[in-house]
Amino acid sequence: MKRENINIELKQLSVGYAQPGEAPLEVLKNINFTAAPGEMVALIGSNGIGKSTLLRTLAAFQPWFAGNIQISGKGLKTLHPKEIARIMSFVSTENIRVPNLSVFDLVAYGRFPYTNWIGMLANEDKSVVYEAIEKVGLGGFEQRSVMQISDGERQRAMIARALAQDTPVIILDEPTAYLDVSNKYEIFHLLQVLAVEKKKTIVLSTHDLNIALREVDKLWIVTENGNYQGAPEDAVLQGWLNQMFRNEHVGFDEKEGEFFFKKNFRAKVKVEGEGLPLIWTLRALNRKGYQIVMQVEPDFRVVAKENSWKLIISGTEKEFESIYQLLTFLE
Amino acid sequence: MNLLQKNKNRSVGLVFFLLGVLFVVFFIADLLLGSIIIPVKQVFLAFFPSSETSESFRTIVLDFRLPKALTAVFTGAALSLSGLQMQTVFRNPLAGPYVLGISAGATLGVALFVLGFSSAFAFGIFSSTGAWSLALVAWAGSFLVMLLILYVSARVNDIMTLLILGILFTSAVTAVVSILQYFSNESMLKAFVIWTMGSLGSVTKSQLMVLAPAITAGIFLAFLKIKDLNVFLLGEDYARSLGVSIKTSRVIIFLSTSLLAGTITAFCGPIGFIGIAVPHICRVIFKTANHLVLVPAVILTGSIVMLFSDIVSQLPGMQTTLPINSVTALIGIPVIIWMIVKNRKFVSV
Repeated sequence: MKRENINIELKQLSVGYAQPGEAPLEVLKNINFTAAPGEMVALIGSNGIGKSTLLRTLAAFQPWFAGNIQISGKGLKTLHPKEIARIMSFVSTENIRVPNLSVFDLVAYGRFPYTNWIGMLANEDKSVVYEAIEKVGLGGFEQRSVMQISDGERQRAMIARALAQDTPVIILDEPTAYLDVSNKYEIFHLLQVLAVEKKKTIVLSTHDLNIALREVDKLWIVTENGNYQGAPEDAVLQGWLNQMFRNEHVGFDEKEGEFFFKKNFRAKVKVEGEGLPLIWTLRALNRKGYQIVMQVEPDFRVVAKENSWKLIISGTEKEFESIYQLLTFLE
Repeated sequence: MNLLQKNKNRSVGLVFFLLGVLFVVFFIADLLLGSIIIPVKQVFLAFFPSSETSESFRTIVLDFRLPKALTAVFTGAALSLSGLQMQTVFRNPLAGPYVLGISAGATLGVALFVLGFSSAFAFGIFSSTGAWSLALVAWAGSFLVMLLILYVSARVNDIMTLLILGILFTSAVTAVVSILQYFSNESMLKAFVIWTMGSLGSVTKSQLMVLAPAITAGIFLAFLKIKDLNVFLLGEDYARSLGVSIKTSRVIIFLSTSLLAGTITAFCGPIGFIGIAVPHICRVIFKTANHLVLVPAVILTGSIVMLFSDIVSQLPGMQTTLPINSVTALIGIPVIIWMIVKNRKFVSV
């Protein structure tokens, strides 16, 4: 990778925070991560490992212990807060609730580094604000109060604010934390589009791994046993996702690309059928702890058809109208 | 959408115009009304030295009512503005000018002076130099607290720590003052209690010469920080990410608040309620979170509310006056209750 193609570079970084009266707590050490323009990066790791601390350090909110952070080729320590504000914007997990604040005014705060001493918006600033609002799909919401829009819309407004700040780097701390599934996908998609179209470097932390695996260009994984950076697919192949969890009950299915609960199977079942009824019957039985088998002799068999499920146990048959009825009977 | 914004700007202008008219009306009414009824014509004539009006009328209007009305204006503006700053910086709707412990500092100064030292040797000084010495000790008290706050705020990162320190400091001072009260004699006690009730009338013309520049300086500092106040609404993380130097900005805002609230407390006593209520009233009237509108709005509205309180406190046509502190509370609390009931969103900043 060419040097000028790196927007963010963390070298031998060690982060943590000072504790009054105690030794400083080092949460993450020896971090070596990079991100290029146009790249969307997801920082993942288990709860409490220090993702937020790392992002807050990267955003220059707190000092670090050792190592170096380079942003657009400059050392973060050498930059003045006003310069940083033109290079990096930040979206936090905090749900902003300010009465009487319109979406337009909120997004216009992004122009702060560019406006005069009383924050007057020039016509150019206004068009940047309108463009940012349009970009995140909130056109027509300009005069709505931020209290009267949904969580998903508010998160998009916060992203529009970061967009209006017009920085090559955007950092987001769990931008999808309290959103419903469709909003989660929309936010990821929006950020992906921004990264590609505007050549921005987007770094976000997330717990929505299933979405992150499909949408981001690069993963930064932090675990107790070391750190990883690279394409999500490489991470899977190298077994990093299974390493992430200290928990022995959760595993990562490397074929399906999904996480699952490890459980003890209660019985073997063979399922026949086709199409969607077959797929969802398999899932239901799997969820209830039945092992799906093909070759070996099963304890019982299920035939799944559209709107009817047939259970065959040692010669006797029984019909059901729904998966729910079938599962209830099996209990 | 641009049209909508133009309409909004026009209505903001209209509200400011109406408030301006209200301000002029109340200011004139405050000059006209009082324990002695002076004909309207005589009040106006009093402003012209060559005009023929009785000397006593002229003295009442120029030496008593005018300084008092001006003090009301400065008091209302200063307390409301410092209340707005504190509510924004602490992101707490219950914050007011005194959360940092400014009035506690002033109270401690006055209590030590009136209840402590003066009982032994300084009572003569107290009575001869009058209100000047009270104002000076109160100012010294709030100034010391201000230095303490600025020292701590330049070192502490977490804003909540400051809020808690302010509350604890206020409680500690209240305890010390209680002890002083317990050991002081009746006349001292009365002098102190009267100071705590607040008074606009005790401010003399010469004191106004000190009060006015101090308040003007505080307002000037607040105007410098309008832009920062706006982004403080989003919290300090966002403010920092937008390039605000948090500690510098905080020190300037606290300096402004200390100047405003400290000066008023020194000269008029700890006048309550205005600082918390007026910012909320302005948010309801203007329906905005923009400090470019809110800062001038609280200055104007605060002055109007204080002028009105002053008119009510002197019970037009009667010989006695009510303590201003009781009036501000009795006028304001129903307003606040009405607003809570009508507009529940009022409870958060």
